[in-house]
Formats: sequence, C-alpha cells, structure tokens
Amino acid sequence: MLIFKTFFKVLRKHLPVALIFIVAFVMISLNMVKSSNKEKVFEDVKLDVCVFDQDDTPESRKLCEYMSSRYNMVTIENDQNTITDALYYERADFIMTIEKGYAEAIAEENCDGLFTSYHMHPSYAEALVQQFLQEYVKTVRAGIAGGMDIGNAIDLAEETLSQQTEVSYAEYDENADSDFSKGLANYFNYMAYILISVIMSALCPVLLAMDKKDIRYRTSCSGIVSSSYLLQILTAAALFITGIWLVFSIVGIFLSGGMYHGKALLALLNSYVFSITSAAITVFITSFSPSANVVNLMTQVVGLGMSFLCGIFIEQSLLSGGVLAAGRFLPAFWYIRANDMLSGTTAYDSGKFMMCIAIELGFAAAFSLLSLVVRKIKLGQTAVKSSRLSVAENKG
Amino acid sequence: MNTVVKIENLVKRYGDLIALDHLCLDIYEGEVFGLLGPNGSGKTTTINCLLSLLSYDKGSIQIFGKEMTPVSYDIKKDIGIIMQNVAVFDELTVFENIDYFCGLYITDKAKRKQYVEEAIEFTGLNDFKKFYPKKLSGGLLRRLNIACGIAHKPKLIILDEPTVAVDPQSRNKILEGIQELNRNGTTIIYTSHYMEEIEQICTRIAIMDKGRKIAEGTKDQLKRMIKNTETITTELLELPDNVLSQISALPHVYSADYSGDKLTVCCSGGKHNLIRVLDVLQKNDLSFGRVYTELPTLNDVFLEITGTALRDKED
Repeated sequence: MLIFKTFFKVLRKHLPVALIFIVAFVMISLNMVKSSNKEKVFEDVKLDVCVFDQDDTPESRKLCEYMSSRYNMVTIENDQNTITDALYYERADFIMTIEKGYAEAIAEENCDGLFTSYHMHPSYAEALVQQFLQEYVKTVRAGIAGGMDIGNAIDLAEETLSQQTEVSYAEYDENADSDFSKGLANYFNYMAYILISVIMSALCPVLLAMDKKDIRYRTSCSGIVSSSYLLQILTAAALFITGIWLVFSIVGIFLSGGMYHGKALLALLNSYVFSITSAAITVFITSFSPSANVVNLMTQVVGLGMSFLCGIFIEQSLLSGGVLAAGRFLPAFWYIRANDMLSGTTAYDSGKFMMCIAIELGFAAAFSLLSLVVRKIKLGQTAVKSSRLSVAENKG
Repeated sequence: MNTVVKIENLVKRYGDLIALDHLCLDIYEGEVFGLLGPNGSGKTTTINCLLSLLSYDKGSIQIFGKEMTPVSYDIKKDIGIIMQNVAVFDELTVFENIDYFCGLYITDKAKRKQYVEEAIEFTGLNDFKKFYPKKLSGGLLRRLNIACGIAHKPKLIILDEPTVAVDPQSRNKILEGIQELNRNGTTIIYTSHYMEEIEQICTRIAIMDKGRKIAEGTKDQLKRMIKNTETITTELLELPDNVLSQISALPHVYSADYSGDKLTVCCSGGKHNLIRVLDVLQKNDLSFGRVYTELPTLNDVFLEITGTALRDKED
C-alpha cells in the first residue's frame, strides 16, 4: 500500500486549492437553495409619487384620490430645490403638478398642458406614471365623447384602469418528483462544475508528480510489480473521487433537509458517473504532462467552458442551437440533460436517462483510451528523438 | 570472480540509426565499472537496456546470472539506480522520499525504517530529515537523490552521470561515497563523460563511441594500449627548425610539435626523455620557461583510438 499512501501524502499538499472550490461551492449552494425556497419571488411594488394640485377642483381631487390608491403618495414642499432633492435622494420617484384649468380642459377635450412632471431621466417610474396619466385622460375623454358627463367618465376611467394583471405561480414541472426539488436540481447541476474543478485541481498535480519522468523511471527500475503499482494508483484515485462525491452528496442532504429518495437517487448515480468522467478527463490532460500553471488554466477552461456550453450556469432551454450542438460533444451536456429529466424540466424517460449515463461513461472510456494513445506516442517520440539527437551529436 | 552483469552482442536500432552496435560487456562482483564516452556514445542506452526500460533488437543481458526482462522483479530488487536528474517528490520530506523509494523494494516496515535511517546517516542528511526538497541546496539534493537510490542496500548500483552540474566539493563527497559503498561490497556501474572521475574511482573501464565498445580494461591497461607514455611540454619563445628536427630524432620520441610558443614532445616508452629534450635545448643555447611532463590520460586513449579527443566531442 506504499504507493496508495504516497498518493494521499502528495494529495495532501494540493488539497488547499480544492478546498477553496469546495467552500465556495457550499456557500453558493446554500445561498442558491435559500433563494429557491422563498415562496414569493414576485412582489407588487408601488411607486412613490407626489402630486401638487393647482386646479383644486372635484375632478382634480378625484384624480389625486385615485392616484393615492395606485401609488404611495408622498408630501413635499413645492419648491424647486426640495423637488430636486426629493428626486435625487429618491424620496419620490415621480413628482407632478395638476395644472390650473385641468377640469375645464379635460371637459373641452383639450389635453395639452394638463400636467407638469419632474423625474429622473430616463426612469421606469416616468414611463409607468406617464402611461397611466395618458390612459386615464384618454378613457375620460372617451367617456365624454360617448355622451357621459365628466363625473361618470371619471368613474369609467377608474374602473377601467383598476383592472390588474393577476400574477400567479404555475408549476412548470408537473411530472417532477417531489423528492427532487428545483433547489436540489440546481444544486446537482452546479455540482458538475465543482466536481470537475475540484477533481482536476487536486488530482492533476498528484498524477503529474507520480508520473514525473524521473520518478517513473526510478519506479520502473524497482522491484514493484507494475500491475500492483497501477492498481494502487487507481484505487487511491477512485477513493479520492468517491470521497469528493460523498462530501457533495452529504452537503446536498443538509441543503435539501432530508435523505435522498426517488429520482434524487438517480441524480446521485448521475453525479457519480460524472465524477468518473471528470477523473478520466483529468488523466487525459495529465498525459500531456502540463506545467502547474497550465493545469490551473485548463481547470478553468474545462470547468467554465463546459458550464457555459452545456447548461450548468444557464439552462439548456435558454441556450442557442449552435451552443447546444457544440455542447453535445461534452459529457456535462448529457449530465445536465439527465438532471433536467429528473427535475421535470424535460419529460422523464428511463431509457433516455440511461442513455445519458451510458454516453457519460462512453466519454470516460474514450478519454482513458486517448490518454493511453497519447502516452504511447509520447514514449515513442521521446525515445526516437533522444536517440536521433545522440547519434547526430556523435556523427557531428 | 562472479559475473554480475553479462551483456552479449547487444544491438539497439532506432530505424536506420544504430544506438548500440554488438556491445559485449562483463562486469564482475565488487568492481567499480566505468562506462566512458562522449554524449551520444550509447552509455545511457546501455543502462536503459540493462534495466529493461528499453527493448533491444539483438543480444542478451544477464544480471546475477539470470536473464534480465521487464518482469525480472527478483533481479530488480537488488539493483539501485541513481540518475543524472534528481528524481524525488517535491511534496514529500527528505525522510518520506527515502522511505518511499526504499519501500519500493523493502516491504518490512521495521527493516525499512532502519535502512532509511542508515541511508540518511550515510549521506549526511540527518539535519534535513523534515525538509522538503525545495528547501535543499543543489548539493544536498544530489545527496538525497543518492540516498533514494541506495537505501534498500542493493548489490548492484548504477550511477548514470550523477555529478553533472555539481560543484567540486559536492562532487568529491559523492565520489567518496561511491567508493565507500564499493568497499562495503557493492558492485558499481558508473557512467560519465568526465574522464577524471572515471580514472579516480573505477577499477575497470569500457570506453564507448558510436554505440560500440572501443576499449576495455583497467586504466593502466588502457593506457598501455596506446603508443604515448609521456608528453613533455616546454614553453619557448623561439625554436629553430633544425632544433625541432634534432628533438624529433631523439630515441622514443614519435612526435614533436612547436606551436604557440609551446614545444610538445610525445614519447613512447624509454627513460630520461625529459633530460634528453632539455639537453638538446641547452646545447643549442635556447632559453626556456615552464617545463612539465604528463602521463597519458584516458582522453589520449580515446584520441588515439578514435582520432578525436573526448573533450572535443563533448563540445
């Protein structure tokens, strides 16, 4: 078990980087789950509006009264400095004056110069209140044109404009398993990024250290049987990725507030298979013997690249066709697709789910085979190159 | 004498390039065997084939009387290897590194601990046990490299240019250490292109060039293979041609050359060659400066056999 133990001794030195990822992930996940647990994600807010009624007629008072039902009415002094300060310090979103002669003008269908307004420009408050005032005046005028008196026309306008859009929460995942909530699904989706980042940032340096040319040379010359050496490395690597996966799975239990059931268990299987694929990608990258800086760079490129192309950070349904087409060639795409089925984002089909798992395993096998090919080519090239160099030197 | 390593007709090709050309070597128990040759002469290829790290096209290799193959783990456990490059883990301490490499051979924990302590003692790394390699100086790193290669007390140690880029003080310590290991009964194979080192520590030497063994024997045997037995050098401001002819005609002188204010006289056998040369100069009333005489070196052996100086090849 010497090599097995040494693997973890070397790993110990590279764990701090992985720990940064783990802590950051747990913090973000905690925040994510908290926000997804909030029942109210939509809130009807009212603007702070101040109205100076210069007309002071029953019609203008009716408008003020009606506006007070729609907006939070604020009172400020009617002077330029106070108005400017109120807007600057956001004590009011919109300040308006109902000009003298408002009632007469509206009755005579003269709509120019009814109001004067003060607002920060551009602002959504301006757009909303201006739109309301236009609608209000138009409806009153429509009533008058229809033969109503001004009082009835104002009532009509209030009634018409009082119709509000009902906002309700529709469950989009009708087929979703109650054991695999949206929050947990998000957690598992984001886990793909963190799994590959942690596995690459910790496993790559260890494999590089164990596989350093001179150390490998010395090991090959020793009395240790090569199959035993390989087996110990594989066992240690498998234990490491299982450990990392377990940590995230346990964190998931705490975040979801209970043990995994139903489709959450399939999500666990999916994440474990993705851990294996991540390890295979790590082995593949290691076969090029990159430097420590390149490993860091590759961790970011692979982790973030997959996250953006495969739907980890942005839902697959929101990605363009081109991005999805590119994503298909990456294992994370199939990981997310399987998770989407489990969370009810797309229809669940056990056959398709197993196909996603099989594709992920296929990627793992392909990366492992590619690593063997790269190593073989590199070994041959090094031997021939050094020999040619030596003989050439000698001839020279 | 027991033969520890027996290489017969070893041929290694890389396409049309011949790296080893019918190499034959016998290395005996208890000797320090030197493999000397310029870069690219086939020393490292020989070592790689010896350790079964490289396959070869023809020939056979026997170590401790058994055929050496990539799976000859029983043979490998009695071999120690020390390379030119320091092969240790940056993430492990001095103790952990030696323990790891010793552990590749010795499974018994108590025995291993004792061996590791002895290797640390032998290489003088007692005060640095808990140091990480990055904290060690170049010389200490080399000692750690050696400790990793010898901790399991192998019967045969192969050192492949272990003193490249090492300061003279550390180099002497390394060479002394190798001699001590040999005195304790270990057979050593030492490859280098530094002929002074080879001359200093090796009991028998094989000179290699272009994948072939061009000479083999003790240093005295090698030197006796060549015509040159003594080279006399004299610093002179002028040397008339007739005087140079007189010197060339002296008994045992086979070559005399004057260039760059230096007269170089090569002699083959004979006694009192220096006195005879100085006598000619005195008779011709020629004043001279520094005079020195040199015995032949391995470089002279290489030069005479191959027509090229070993040092020139290195350059």
